[in-house]
Amino acid sequence: MSVYEKIGGEAAVNAAVDIFYRKVLSDDRISEFFDTVDMETQHAKQKAFLTMAFGGPNNYSGKDMREAHKHMSLNEGHFNAVAECLVGTLNELSVPQEHIDEIVGIAVSVKDDVLNK
Amino acid sequence: MSKVCFEESTVELQSRESLLDGLLRSGHDIPFGCRAGVCHSCLVSLEDGQVPADAQKGLTAGQVSLGHVLSCQCFPNEPIKVRRLDTAGESVHGRVVSKTWLNEQVIQLKLDAALDYVPGQYVTLWKDDHLARSYSLASEPNQDEFLEFHIKVIEEGSFSQWVANTLEIGAELAIQGPLGKCIYTAQPEQPLLLSAVGTGLAPILGILKDALMKGHVGPIHVVIASKEMSGFYLMDELTQLSVEHGNLSVSFVSMGVGELEPSSIHLFHDDIYQFVQKKFSDLKGFRVFLCGAESFVKKMRKQCFLAGAGMGDISADVFLPFTTS
Ligand SMILES: Cc1cc2nc3c(=O)[nH]c(=O)nc-3n(C[C@H](O)[C@H](O)[C@H](O)COP(=O)(O)OP(=O)(O)OC[C@H]3O[C@@H](n4cnc5c(N)ncnc54)[C@H](O)[C@@H]3O)c2cc1C
Ligand code: HEM
Repeated sequence: MSVYEKIGGEAAVNAAVDIFYRKVLSDDRISEFFDTVDMETQHAKQKAFLTMAFGGPNNYSGKDMREAHKHMSLNEGHFNAVAECLVGTLNELSVPQEHIDEIVGIAVSVKDDVLNK
Repeated sequence: MSKVCFEESTVELQSRESLLDGLLRSGHDIPFGCRAGVCHSCLVSLEDGQVPADAQKGLTAGQVSLGHVLSCQCFPNEPIKVRRLDTAGESVHGRVVSKTWLNEQVIQLKLDAALDYVPGQYVTLWKDDHLARSYSLASEPNQDEFLEFHIKVIEEGSFSQWVANTLEIGAELAIQGPLGKCIYTAQPEQPLLLSAVGTGLAPILGILKDALMKGHVGPIHVVIASKEMSGFYLMDELTQLSVEHGNLSVSFVSMGVGELEPSSIHLFHDDIYQFVQKKFSDLKGFRVFLCGAESFVKKMRKQCFLAGAGMGDISADVFLPFTTS
């Protein structure tokens, strides 16, 4: 069973997305990347992000991740900020530590693609 | 880059060029408006080929099956063939019933038309085959006989000046729509926050009437903002509604100077964002409606979301300005 299924699948993503997006928008290190006019589209992308980070079904390849993030010139600090928002969200939802560790592992696995290294 | 076949001619789209821009560049006279997929005035009909889903985003299933395409949102990946759309089937005719100034800048326009709509939706009004603008409905079909619009008359505004100076009682104009999803949907007990700036009051009024008519029992907070005191309108009517409905409170917020009669009107000299922040510090569980200029909706939506309102519980109508270039 994937960690995505263990924490409740799509329902977990839906429970997490508003909390996560609020954290991201309140974090001065990264908020500018997410502060767009079209909050609805951005909201959908946050869901895509969470689904992927939770190890859920997605069609993104490493190349897609590179393409999606390339133009932002992200660095280690940006990545850590997103990871902290993610962990904070999971803590708030009382997700057990072992699952959080697994989710962080998934995020780290795409780090080089996201940072275009 | 893809080829477009249009009325016996072929247009080669440049990279990142929309179908609309390509057709305009080649000298084809296509009506258009917001260039944001909102007003639907630039619809064309697809005869051959496939277009990306974004080019049909927000269209009804019927329109999609007829091959309608928003040309301003269309960036085709393959050769396509399109033709002009006869908008006659897309619109109804409205007859001007009345034109009334609500304040120094805003005209209330009433049209008699057979249109099925939900309060809070908008339509695109056509001056002629070339000029179209979107306006929100302020009326509620069960209690209002006519369609009601609040049109702010803008200096040099092509459409609004025409409405103010030329459009006569009894004249007819084409109405396309209704469009939009910023409409009353809520649990009857849910607290509501309805906030608008300027003529954003039009859809807010429609949504409010709908909520009251459907027997909304939870608290309803209407917060109207204006830069200048003179920008407010329908203050007495809204205040009267709040007298009739115990669960409704109406506040007017402005940084401008001036006094108001009667004193029963709830006027606050404050910044709209600070006012909402102070008064609604926790919006968890609220259903929120925001209408008006883009700068207002953008800032207020973010603020309300951060104050706890769920993204799915915030509906907004942005009065995008129409671009001429
Ligand atoms: C979904 C939707 C709903 C809308 N609902 C309403 C409504 O209910 N009531 C309403 O009054 N408008 C509404 N609008 C705006 C309306 O469609 C027009 O953009 C507006 O009336 C200006 O049109 P115009 O032809 O008079 O001016 P234009 O000829 O388009 O513009 C003339 C100049 O004025 C500028 N301008 C445009 N808007 C404003 C403004 N608000 N204040 C100052 N300068 C401006 C333009 O940038 C341009 O430079 C809505 C827009 C959308 C997209
Ligand atoms: C932790 C690893 C990350 C993963 C798994 C991830 C995943 C994703 C996914 C799936 C999308 C949607 C792509 C699309 O459909 O368009 C996306 C978009 C986006 N990501 Fe990430 N992301 C990560 C890290 C980051 C970081 C560190 C930032 C910036 C601080 C960031 C900023 C964005 C932005 C702004 C978008 C939207 C781009 C757009 O609107 O086109 N991401 N990400």
